[in-house]
Amino acid sequence: MIHVNNIHKSYGTKSVLNNVSASFPAGQLTSLIGPNGAGKTTLLMMIGRLLKVDSGEIFINEQNITDIRISMFAKQVATLRQSQDFTMRLTVEELVAFGRFPYSRGSLTKEDHQAIDNAISFLSLEPLRQSYIDELSGGQRQMAFLAMTIAQETDYLLLDEPLNNLDMKHAVEIMRALRRLCDEQNRTVILVIHDINFAANYSNHIVAMKSGNVYDSGSVKNIVTEENLKALYEIEFEILQSKHGIVCNYFHPQEEF
Amino acid sequence: MMNFARYFLWILVCILAVTFVFMGAEFDYNYIIPNRITRLAAIIIGGVCIAFSSITFQTITENKILTPAIMGYEAIYLLFQSLLVLYMGMESQIVIDKNSNFFLSIGIMLLYSWVIHRWLLAGENNNVYLLLLVGLVLTLLLSAFTQLIQFSISPGEFSLLLSYSQASFNRAQLSQLTIAAVLVGAVCIIIWKALPTFDVLSLGRYQATSLGIDYQVFIKRHFALIALLVATSTSLLGPTAFMGIFVANTAYMIARSPKHRLTLPSGCAIAIATFLIAQIMVEHLFNYKTTVGILVNLMCGTYFLMLILRLRKAS
Repeated sequence: MIHVNNIHKSYGTKSVLNNVSASFPAGQLTSLIGPNGAGKTTLLMMIGRLLKVDSGEIFINEQNITDIRISMFAKQVATLRQSQDFTMRLTVEELVAFGRFPYSRGSLTKEDHQAIDNAISFLSLEPLRQSYIDELSGGQRQMAFLAMTIAQETDYLLLDEPLNNLDMKHAVEIMRALRRLCDEQNRTVILVIHDINFAANYSNHIVAMKSGNVYDSGSVKNIVTEENLKALYEIEFEILQSKHGIVCNYFHPQEEF
Repeated sequence: MMNFARYFLWILVCILAVTFVFMGAEFDYNYIIPNRITRLAAIIIGGVCIAFSSITFQTITENKILTPAIMGYEAIYLLFQSLLVLYMGMESQIVIDKNSNFFLSIGIMLLYSWVIHRWLLAGENNNVYLLLLVGLVLTLLLSAFTQLIQFSISPGEFSLLLSYSQASFNRAQLSQLTIAAVLVGAVCIIIWKALPTFDVLSLGRYQATSLGIDYQVFIKRHFALIALLVATSTSLLGPTAFMGIFVANTAYMIARSPKHRLTLPSGCAIAIATFLIAQIMVEHLFNYKTTVGILVNLMCGTYFLMLILRLRKAS
């Protein structure tokens, strides 16, 4: 369980987060949704300790995260930022091995190799194992980075827009993998996501943010309603039920442009 | 292929070293050869300093076209030498002997690096790019002061100063080399132990933090170690300016892997080989009519242009 308590953050005079409080249930998949500039990524980066809070506290299993050493924290929480645009000449396997750094500090043990194998096979990346990262497609590269994060074997995974720039097939593959991490391995996944349909169909819990505040949070059923989404994004939504899940249609708003 | 290139590099270094020590020496074990071995030691220490400092600096700054020279270490060294000449003239050589000059130079460069690190890396909002920008501006400022001094000294004093502004292996003395070797050895062992962390750091600052590296502490400590390496090599040889760019980038290409375990030794071999070739040419081809610094810049520059041309053709 992660609790966020009265977080405040500003850059210069512009405040990005105003007294944000929220909780993220353990063993579940939580989506952070909301318009651009709502502070979703900022909040996620603070939970992952990649950004410092101005004021407020963040608790993970009732422990204040600032009381945990960075090297220990990396065994509890793994963060993956968006768009991995680097061009280092590493194989997929070498990249995934970096996920073991918090444990091995560079010299891999038998357990580390086991964890690397597990992460690679969990995402069915065996055929790409010896491929170089800079020669992969965007979707494959994102999978490889996710494998590194999974190999870190943390209870909490924080992902910033993991579906960014992916085609539908790769997006579905990533979301199914995240769902399985929760269901099969009881891990907690928190992700910032823009595709409301993926959020609605794969999450347990949703935290909706708007202009630096938490607009609402709760189960998918409570949050994903036509009224809520309209107020959140300021465009009209039509929610359609199908036998495989729900679809939020926002492609043809009825009001005047 | 990959291993071959690396082994070839070390074989080349050995051949060059043997050539350098024995070429035309007629087995004079009393004077010529001991002197050349002293210079060989200076070359090895200098090469290791340049390779280690440039490659680790590039990893920390996430930039492959920089060397620590951009922080102004060499500029402060030259300003210090200029001030010595300005206030004491030719007598500065006697008042402050070569040993004291060596230690004073190291001390001043370390003091300088301590001040700017303390000033700019203080607090938690430290920004490597700001550090680089300030370093660059300070380099320009310090160089301007140095030039100002150069206009107001006599031609004799100027030529003395000129000898300080070019890398040379003839200056270093045994006592300085011993101390430099101990310092550089210790720093390299510390860096070597942190190599896996440097590998993680090349994933970028945020990914490294997410993998449990205390970024602030790590870069502060390693900027200090880099400063120590640069201070030692500059005091020993003089400024090497941007040779580090050549050394580091060639090392990345030869090692064909971003792992520091492979790039650092290759970098050392490249730096040592370059110095050896330049020094052999200075001693036997140009008969001391040019300096190592000039030849090194000439070689690195030409090689780099060739490399870029070849890459452009290939693509």
